Amino acid sequence: MTADRGPRDEVASWRVGVDIGGTFTDVVLWDAQSGRMILEKLLTTPDDPSRAVLDGVERVLREVGIAADQLSSVIHGTTLVANALIERKGVSTGLITTAGFRDVLEIGREWRYDQFNLDIEMPRPLVPRSLRLEVTERIDAGGSVLTPLDNQDVVGAVGALREAGVASVAVCLLHAYLNPDHERAVAEALRRDLPDIAVSLSSDVSPELGEYERTSTTVANAYVHPIFRDYVARLIEALQGMGYRRDFLLVLSDGRCVRADVAQRYPIRLVQSGPAAGAEAARLFGELAGFDDLLCFDMGGTTAKACLIPDGEPERAVRFEVARETRFAEGSGLPLQIPAIDMIEIGAGGGSIARVDRRGLLQVGPDSAGADPGPVCYGQGNQLPTVTDCDLLLGYLDEASFLGGRMRLDRAAAERAVGEHLAGPLGIGVVEAAWGVHETVTANMAQAATIHAIERALDVTRFAMLAIGGAGPVHACAMARKMNIGRLVCPTGAGVASAIGMLASSISFEIARAAPSSIDALDFARATALLEGMDAEASALVAGAGVEADLVSRRFSAMMRYRGQGYEIEAPVALDAVRQGDRAALLESFSQAYRGRYGRSEEMPVELLSWRLAVVGPRSSLAETLAERGGEGAEVPAPGGHRPVWFDDRFIETPVYDRGQLMPGARINGPAIIEEVESTLVVPTEFALSVDRALNLILTPVA
Amino acid sequence: MSSGALSPVRLGLIWRRLDGIVDQVSETFVRAAFSVVVRDNYDMAFSLFDAQGRQLTQSKRSIPSFMGTLPRTLQAVLERFPTEQLKPGDTIISNDPWIGTGHLNDISMVHPIFRDDRLIAFAASTAHTVDIGGAPSPTARDRFEEGLCIPICKIVEAGRESPAVIDFLSENLRQPDETLGDIRAQFAAYRDCTEKLHAMMAEEGLADLTPLADEIIARSEASMRAAIALLPDGAYQDGFDIDGVDQPLRVACAVRIAGDRLAVDFAGTSPQVRWPINSVLNYTQAYARYAVKCLLDPGAPNNAGSLAPISIAAPEGCLLNATPPAPVWGRHLSGHYVPPAIFGALAPILPDRVVAESGSPLWNVYFAGRLDAGGEPFVKMFFMNGGHGARPHGDGPGCLSFPSNVSNQPIEAFEHQVPMLVAEKCFVPDSGGGGRYRGGNAQRLRFRSLSAHPITMTIRHERVQFPPRGLLGGLPGTTGLDLVNGEVIPAKGRSELSRGDEVTFQTAGGGGLFAVADRAREVIEADIESGLVTEDKARATYGHDR
Repeated sequence: MTADRGPRDEVASWRVGVDIGGTFTDVVLWDAQSGRMILEKLLTTPDDPSRAVLDGVERVLREVGIAADQLSSVIHGTTLVANALIERKGVSTGLITTAGFRDVLEIGREWRYDQFNLDIEMPRPLVPRSLRLEVTERIDAGGSVLTPLDNQDVVGAVGALREAGVASVAVCLLHAYLNPDHERAVAEALRRDLPDIAVSLSSDVSPELGEYERTSTTVANAYVHPIFRDYVARLIEALQGMGYRRDFLLVLSDGRCVRADVAQRYPIRLVQSGPAAGAEAARLFGELAGFDDLLCFDMGGTTAKACLIPDGEPERAVRFEVARETRFAEGSGLPLQIPAIDMIEIGAGGGSIARVDRRGLLQVGPDSAGADPGPVCYGQGNQLPTVTDCDLLLGYLDEASFLGGRMRLDRAAAERAVGEHLAGPLGIGVVEAAWGVHETVTANMAQAATIHAIERALDVTRFAMLAIGGAGPVHACAMARKMNIGRLVCPTGAGVASAIGMLASSISFEIARAAPSSIDALDFARATALLEGMDAEASALVAGAGVEADLVSRRFSAMMRYRGQGYEIEAPVALDAVRQGDRAALLESFSQAYRGRYGRSEEMPVELLSWRLAVVGPRSSLAETLAERGGEGAEVPAPGGHRPVWFDDRFIETPVYDRGQLMPGARINGPAIIEEVESTLVVPTEFALSVDRALNLILTPVA
Repeated sequence: MSSGALSPVRLGLIWRRLDGIVDQVSETFVRAAFSVVVRDNYDMAFSLFDAQGRQLTQSKRSIPSFMGTLPRTLQAVLERFPTEQLKPGDTIISNDPWIGTGHLNDISMVHPIFRDDRLIAFAASTAHTVDIGGAPSPTARDRFEEGLCIPICKIVEAGRESPAVIDFLSENLRQPDETLGDIRAQFAAYRDCTEKLHAMMAEEGLADLTPLADEIIARSEASMRAAIALLPDGAYQDGFDIDGVDQPLRVACAVRIAGDRLAVDFAGTSPQVRWPINSVLNYTQAYARYAVKCLLDPGAPNNAGSLAPISIAAPEGCLLNATPPAPVWGRHLSGHYVPPAIFGALAPILPDRVVAESGSPLWNVYFAGRLDAGGEPFVKMFFMNGGHGARPHGDGPGCLSFPSNVSNQPIEAFEHQVPMLVAEKCFVPDSGGGGRYRGGNAQRLRFRSLSAHPITMTIRHERVQFPPRGLLGGLPGTTGLDLVNGEVIPAKGRSELSRGDEVTFQTAGGGGLFAVADRAREVIEADIESGLVTEDKARATYGHDR
């Protein structure tokens, strides 16, 4: 940021990040100029998630005494989409497809994801066979109409869907990624006859070759579309009602932002929105703490995720899978064609329900009590014990200080639930059962995260663990010990890290245009026009997001491959080289990228599939302001109190510190409990903690 | 880290990491591949062996037959090139059916991996190539008609491609760019594998893989032996007729269990035939071991140890152990019956493990012709799985590959490569066999020629005469059907398609499991609701009235 600010800049230096998890909604307000940060954590309101968001935004604005029209941006991430898919709580959805192909969605790719297991469950389609309707039409592989769209069929399909009472419709016709005309005609008929129904077209949602994956992506989009669209509309309306004037931005699964209108049409791209922002936060805090290789461990109320960030750059994937039939089994879920930060689900969060299974053994998750009703101790009607209930009984959480005392936990109810459902059937004591649940969920997560790293040929013991999410710091030390990880970072605001990550990330957009051509026959004049058009579009997006155009960096690239291959490689491209028709530069860039990935290049014709443009706004100054936050005072403050906490098979009277009092240089040996409003850090007996200059807590095992 | 004895915890982690390496490296191959048959159908395998040639692991998506035939391929390579003749940067190639996968269309390669000039491991892979030259056909009389046989030779020597080998391949193949592109994609994978293995060994402080391999193999062998020992000793038999070409043939199987050893013998199986449906012993063994592993020890890893307690025999000269130069192009037409024969034999003692028969041997079709633009020749194939057999705890899924694990390919990708239209790909109602658990539905595919040039279509399909059997009281699935313009055509044959001609393939439905009387009423209702079972069929099979 520039030093010479006008008064208007000063006003517009406030940014808000909002993250909705399954259990909590986190709101962070940050002043880029002063570095001041206000954190809020509220219970998610599942019946209308916008309620908690607006409530939180109002609270933070009130706290610093500014109005909504003084905000430069509001950025939002959410697990709403993922949860609706995992819990199958989307809307009743229909599918209209090319005659002869309604079973594509169920047939899938015909392979068994576990070769030796004869009893695997295949993913169940989101649309039942009776709601998968066909229309006569056909586009050929060149994009030409082979059979015109039969309007009678369309009328019939629309009528059938009306009768079935669906709330959303996916349209996926063969080769629509090349020619969307028929899909658009179907959409028009749907909008005309069923104006209240949400429509998702495969040519919009996922314009890529491959009918199964495209249908799966489009159907998943449709399944969550109305819920998400209405939710965002309510939010925008309310924010505008408060006086907010800028674009409302949402975080995509790859950590980038888009404007609300784009997000509303393609909610499926937000399937990993909140966690992706968490990875951005991990990158930020890791940098502050001086660690390059990070394992981000993000445990909220509903899910726990792990993301590897080697060398400060999160791993990325172009394929994504949601709602797996078998936990951790690749191929057992619904495939989505969306770019995403590569992370895996390693558990079901603090709300995970614990039970005794048919083998007479403790089983934790995969189902979660979420926010509503939430754990038994929330007193909202759930009777089944959860991980959070057990953490309370073990003293890791405190009934009086949870959420800074704003939410009182019902310890007696948790004790009853654990006794009745776990300790009784197992014939053991309540505390023993609670400890069993804590150990089981921690071991499950440690194993899953280790496998994730190993499968990427990475040695996780060299990584530092960054613990975020409301429940992350509660379980982090125990998990790190099981994974043989020697360093942990617990950042300030760990409990609301995803929301902070949204503020940390640069505002950035990506635009892609398909333009298949062999390099030999590439029309550079057309390509130049295309790239300039993309550039103009990007400029408009950037302006709407409140970023000055001259502070934005642009990166053009081309997706290329050798003719005959099926996967492309991204090669950087200079706009000037395209303007000058420099074929050799394009080929050299591709060869270099290819050699980087495959260690060799081939003497074969090259083709280009699409152009991409990434525009990245200026780096947020969040890192600098956070780095300077630490005051002085290596003194360890007196604990605010003591409470009995379960360590090493017994309750130990353990000091409880207020995190706000811990200043750089301070050192504390375990056992200890460090409380901040949004999360609680559990420091077992064999760990020592120190505070770094950015107020991160750095934990290491004591030899 | 020290290189001392491996603790169980550390062993577990390194072992998993080894699995992770082959999975990643296999994706390097797939992503760089030039053929649909590799990158979409995943008709391939990538496996890692120790310096003694013992199989350690394979990528998750390696198909069962190839992961099982590669050990013998490596052994044959080492017979031809003893380790002292191998240098860093060598890659050896062959597609000899008898040491490979049973037909010429699968090319296997072996790449020795060195560390500090010491041989530490072998990476080996197999990939299907749609065209291997020659004139493979359902009437081929010997393997010489079936295409080019690549003897065991070095395609890369000390890092340099052999021009002679490359030229031989280029001159004999119809689509050399595709096949050589896939071969070079495997070179990229070997390099990737070498780097990752080196990094892993450095980080784990391993000087060589032998102690690790010893542990992996010993523990897997113990696991399999323990699983076998739980079964009652005895001899268990099964036998059934299969379509064959000009007359039905018999597959016979006896499984003998004695303590912790299991032996399978296919004595009683029909002699080899003059048609290209003969299986070689290596392929038969691969599927037999795979079937036993699925039944007895599915959760344990697959390697030289897990296979050691299982011995497989078939009389020389029989359909499942054909001798050269028998035609073998369609060797899966007999070989895919190996798992159901073993399941059938063991069903009485493993009623909670076996699955009913699936709609396999795997169906596919070859289309050969010339592209309208440019007139370039093409040969493409399309895979079509049948219904999966009913499983001990649920219905068989529709259209799921078994015993192979070949994926379908996107219709949109197929239409880009072949001047044909796919008019339909859908479930066939009423095709799954009845039972407490129903067999999976078959699929129907319709293709229409859009080409100005004639297209030669070749099929070799089984199960048009003998349907997939149900087991333990379950009913059979439906047989398959092949039509051209509505007329039934022979299941093994070649036809010429003109523009507008339409071909229909209907694969076989999976067999059912357990008695129909035990099927739950609400499940039958759901079947009717979805349209996968008609009301008439529900009434006829289950006596169900709505």
